[in-house]
Amino acid sequence: MKETTVLYKVLEDKTISWFQNKNEYAVLENTTAVILKKLNRGIPINKIAKKLSDKLDVPLEKSVDFILELERKFNKEKKSEKLEIATNYKDTKRPKDFEFVKYYKINNIVFKISFLSDKELSFVHPKFAHLIIEKVPDFKNEFEVFINNNYIFLYINNEFIGSWDNSNIHYFQGKFSMELIQKIHQKEENDWLGVFHASAISNGEKSMLFLGDSGNGKSTSLALLQANGFTCLADDFVPVDAKKQEVYSFPAAISIKKSSLETLLSIYPELENSAEYNFRRLNKIVRYLKPNNNDFFAHLPCHDLVFIKFSKNVELTCKKISKIDAFQQLIPDSWLSPKKENAQRFLDWFEGLNCYQLTYSNNEEMIETVTRIFSNDL
Amino acid sequence: MKNKNNKKEDISRKDALKKIASYGKYAAITAIGTYMILNPQKAQASSPGAPGVGF
Repeated sequence: MKETTVLYKVLEDKTISWFQNKNEYAVLENTTAVILKKLNRGIPINKIAKKLSDKLDVPLEKSVDFILELERKFNKEKKSEKLEIATNYKDTKRPKDFEFVKYYKINNIVFKISFLSDKELSFVHPKFAHLIIEKVPDFKNEFEVFINNNYIFLYINNEFIGSWDNSNIHYFQGKFSMELIQKIHQKEENDWLGVFHASAISNGEKSMLFLGDSGNGKSTSLALLQANGFTCLADDFVPVDAKKQEVYSFPAAISIKKSSLETLLSIYPELENSAEYNFRRLNKIVRYLKPNNNDFFAHLPCHDLVFIKFSKNVELTCKKISKIDAFQQLIPDSWLSPKKENAQRFLDWFEGLNCYQLTYSNNEEMIETVTRIFSNDL
Repeated sequence: MKNKNNKKEDISRKDALKKIASYGKYAAITAIGTYMILNPQKAQASSPGAPGVGF
C-alpha cells in the first residue's frame, strides 16, 4: 500500500521519517518507523499487528487499531495546501514609472531594482544599502517591486515571480532573497537543500551556524565574531546547497537591535549615525551593520550547529545537545527543499553535524569557545 | 495515540490523569505511538523582524 514516498534516518534512539506528499518530517519511535516501512512495502496489516501484539504483549485488536491509525495519519492524509499565490493578479498592469531606481553590485553582478514608492523601498533596501552603486548602463538583472490592490508584486527580468498580501510580507522578502541568491550563485530553487533562519560565520575554511529564537543574540554574536577574525557569511537567511551541503554567502546586512548597541558601539562606531528603523508592530528598533565579507560568492562546508543564547550574568556553558532536540528546533523555522533527493541529502548532512547549546554573558569567552569549536578542541 | 505536534496542548491535571488511566493498560503501545510532527516553512521567508511592517 505505497501511497507516499518515505525516507527514514535512524538518529540516536529515534527514527526521523520524511513524507514526500507533505514535505513533512516526523520523529518516531524505531518500532513505529519499522511498522510504517512494512506498511509501505505492502505487508498486510494483520500480519504486522500479530507481530506487534506478540512483541508488546497487547491484544491483537489494539495493535490493529494502532496500525490503522498510523496509516491514516502518515500514509493517507491529503497533501497539504500550498501557500496561496494570488494568481488572479497575474495580469496586473506593471507601472511604467518607479519613484526609486537603485543599482546594487554584488561581487561583479549588477542588479537594477525599481521600487514604486518609498513603501516598497522600505521592505528591501535597508538590508542591501551597503551594496549600492551609481547608475550604470550595464546590469544583469532587473527586479521590479510594486504594490497594487493590496498585494506586493515581484517581477524579475520581465517575468512575474509572485504577489503577496500584507500578512505575507516575510514570504515576499524570502522569495526576493531566494531569487537574489539564485542569480548570485547561478543555482535554481531545486539546487538548494534549504534556507535556515540562522547566522553563519566562517574561519575561511569552514562555516558554523548560530540558531535560536529571536532575541537570543544570533546577530549580536555574529557582529562580535566578525570583529574578531571571523567572516560573516549570512545573517537571518542562510542558504545551503544540495550538491555539497555547503553554506553559501548571502550579502544582506546584519540587523542590530537597539538593545545590542551599547555592546557594539565601541567596536562599530559607524552604528552611532546609521539609520534607525522602527518596526512598531514588532516593537523592535534596528540598525544595519555591513557584513565584513568581501566575497559574496563564498561557500564553505558546515559541521557545527550552535544554539546560542546571551543571558546576563551567567557563566558560559557549552555542551553538545541531542540531535533529536536540535532537529525539533531547526525544522519549523527552516525552508527545506521538497525534492526527494534533497530531503535525503539533508537527513544525511544533519546526521553528521555536531549540535551545541552555548549560553554566555561574557563576549570574550564566547569568542574563545567558538574558536575552539572550529578547531574541534572543545 | 498521542500527537505531540509543534504546538503544545494544555490539558488539566484531571484530564491528564484520566488519559493516563485509559492508556495505562497498554502503556507499551502508547509509548511507541508518541511522535512529533515537524513541518518546515512552506516557502522561503525572512524573519518577521525584517525591514518594513506591512502596507
